Amino acid sequence: MIPSAMANSTETAVESLHHIKSTEPPEWLVPKQELSQAVRAASKLLFSSLKPHCPKSTFDQLLTEGFDAEQIWQQIDLQSQPLLSSLRREVKKFEKHPEEISKFKDGGVGGGEKKKVLEQIETDNVVNDDDDEDDDDMDMDEDEDDEEEEDEEGEEEEKERGTEEESENEGEEKGGIEDKFLKIKELQEYLEEDEAREFGLKKKKTKAESKKEEEDTEEEGDDDEDENEGSVDDDDEAQEEEDGLGLFDGNDEEDEDDLENARYEDFFSRKKNKSSKEKAKSRDMLEEDSGSDDEQDVDKRKNGPSKHEKELDKLRSKIEEMEKANLDPKVWTMRGEVTAAQRQKNSALEVDLDFEHNVRPAPVITEEVTASLEDLIKTRISEGMFDDVQKARTSSSKAPREIKELDESKSKKGLAEVYEEEFVQKTDPASAPLTFSDELKKEASMLFKKLCLKLDALSHFHFTPKPVFEDMSIQTNVPALAMEEVAPMAVSDATMLAPEEVFSGKGDIKEEAELTKAERKRRRANKKRKFKAEAAKRMGKKARQMTTVGNNDEGREG
Amino acid sequence: MLRRNIRLRREYLYRKSLEGKERLLYEKKRKIKEALEEGKPIPTELRNEEAALRQEIDLEDNYTSIPKTHIDDEYANATVRDPKILLTTSRDPSAPLIQFVKELKFVLPNAERMNRGGQVISEIIESCRAHEFTEVILVHEHRGIPDGLIISHLPFGPTAYFGLLNVVTRHDIKDKKAIGTMPEAYPHLILDNFKTKLGERTANILKHLFPVPKPDTKRIVTFANRSDYISFRHHIYEKPGGPKSVELKEIGPRFELRLYQVKLGTMEQSEAQIEWVIRPYMNTTKKRSFIGNEPEPDDKRKRNKA
Repeated sequence: MIPSAMANSTETAVESLHHIKSTEPPEWLVPKQELSQAVRAASKLLFSSLKPHCPKSTFDQLLTEGFDAEQIWQQIDLQSQPLLSSLRREVKKFEKHPEEISKFKDGGVGGGEKKKVLEQIETDNVVNDDDDEDDDDMDMDEDEDDEEEEDEEGEEEEKERGTEEESENEGEEKGGIEDKFLKIKELQEYLEEDEAREFGLKKKKTKAESKKEEEDTEEEGDDDEDENEGSVDDDDEAQEEEDGLGLFDGNDEEDEDDLENARYEDFFSRKKNKSSKEKAKSRDMLEEDSGSDDEQDVDKRKNGPSKHEKELDKLRSKIEEMEKANLDPKVWTMRGEVTAAQRQKNSALEVDLDFEHNVRPAPVITEEVTASLEDLIKTRISEGMFDDVQKARTSSSKAPREIKELDESKSKKGLAEVYEEEFVQKTDPASAPLTFSDELKKEASMLFKKLCLKLDALSHFHFTPKPVFEDMSIQTNVPALAMEEVAPMAVSDATMLAPEEVFSGKGDIKEEAELTKAERKRRRANKKRKFKAEAAKRMGKKARQMTTVGNNDEGREG
Repeated sequence: MLRRNIRLRREYLYRKSLEGKERLLYEKKRKIKEALEEGKPIPTELRNEEAALRQEIDLEDNYTSIPKTHIDDEYANATVRDPKILLTTSRDPSAPLIQFVKELKFVLPNAERMNRGGQVISEIIESCRAHEFTEVILVHEHRGIPDGLIISHLPFGPTAYFGLLNVVTRHDIKDKKAIGTMPEAYPHLILDNFKTKLGERTANILKHLFPVPKPDTKRIVTFANRSDYISFRHHIYEKPGGPKSVELKEIGPRFELRLYQVKLGTMEQSEAQIEWVIRPYMNTTKKRSFIGNEPEPDDKRKRNKA
């Protein structure tokens, strides 16, 4: 490129930059052709000015014609990614060694180097702008933020950068590799530091630094590894990761000298021993509960207890607590049945006792309940449905009394007839006509007697046999004439005695008056004969009776 | 007295032993009756005895057709005569308890109140038996609030133990004019929701505290069972506008009864058999109802069905 042309283009680009800076933010909202042209030019300039600082960039210049925003951004991105990492390194270095900044600062205030400073500032601006642009890669569609942020950050970091770079410029400028950013010596120093940290050499650092370094190793460890050692051992990697976690920072047995005399054996054979030792140590640290080892280790450790160790401590203390609790006797709430004597006074009041009540609670008498009851009562009353006690039917123990019915109609019999009946009853009881009630009564009494007989037969031990009923009817041998005189019509002569019943005799039956003399004499003679015969019998009996006693009466009979 | 008791006991045991046979007979008669009514042929196993049984059925009436059980037998002769009740308290009653017992005396017709003094329960019951009382009621308290009621039916009868809750006495209502006097006619009874066997038994016990009323009395005593808590209410009613309108006026004390024990003996027979006792620590007590039926809860299911 022709310097003059370049100078012209840079001037125009700078102008356009200023122009962009001066535009008001609201103007950015509307897409304008001239603004976009200006931006493109400016970014092109910046890109080309940055190009010498990044050896890896693929583009010689930023291609803007015919490309849209996306593509332009990607080009810038390609250039700036490697730059970012180196810049970060530089910043951290300055954080560690703030005295270097002041060195640069002092150096930078010299008068004759104002131009250089200006140039530096411009390049810084460019760098910063680029950085900022790169930083804002995310916001692709927002142009406005970029430039403003760029400018702000640029102003802040100007001086630092300026001083640093100046000193660097003042320092050696070796071949083509080295430039403002990449200084071989610094790189060497840094690498040595890193190695020392990784492989456990003594260096006392603050916690913050160690943490940052750990992070660095994590981030850049791979880069360094890639740069220094081609093939990486599994062991190595593992260890490196562990180192990265900060476990093995406690090993400070080796001297710093060892670093410089580091040989293969140091890394690949001794490391194994170291690792085993370290591992054993770590295991011990984990297993032992005593604090003394911890303290030793803490003292030995380069850094304080790491996160993992802290967690382990916590766990340990928890385990201790729980084991202690297990050995102690249980709290009364965890023992099964506990009476009042087995727990502290009033301790049950403090505990929230909760158990199920299996009983329905007593009913609360609300208005509704009362109203419902009253409704029920009212319905029952209106229906008349009560649950009163019912009178029981008592089985009657007495027979119903005989009710004599008085017949009020006029008697059909005349008075004479009544007297007649009475007379008849007196003289001839059999002939009296039987009354109706008498018949019934008789029948009833008969039935009852039969029944009583049966019952007696069933229930008594002493059985009385059936009584013989002799139906006695009086038979009067009344002469027919007498009967006829009284003359009741219904009388029959069936009740009269038959002639045999009157006299049952044989032969010729004559009365006294009818007998002749001869017959009378004959009867007398018979009578005498009988009488004599009987007398003789009697005498014979007496004689037999009185055999012993002399009889003086023999002569008398005859 | 002793000999009479012995005889009564023997009769009771004899009737209890006959129960099984009577029940069989009753069943047979029932089957025949059913067959006759429906016009179906008589079942074959009864053919031999059918004629005799039919004769017996004809001769039966309402009273004799029901087979008698020895349960509730204590109240078999209770309706023959009016009940005679003795009311007492626990020892050393407080003034509110005495007032409550006085009120109870007015509620229960034919009741006598007696001071407890220092008498022993067995003595009280012996003397009551001798004087032909039918019931003895004891009222207990806690710091003035009546909390227990024991009803003992007398000759040998069952004893029911109740707990009293939510007691409101007439004395609490200070205004005497508002409450007026209490009529002493024999009241009508309402016993609601005594559905189970135990419920029927309790209903019987409570029923036989009262005599047979006249049909036109205005006094009503209600025992309503809601989830095993029996509410006692005492009202007077009026029918001002025709037979359908009813106006109630509450008089008398109001309390809830909670049955916790029924014993098959009188109070002083401590060794008597327990017919039923409450089990509050049983897990399913909450779900069961021992005296009556629960009203069906208003279910979502029902609403969905409708």
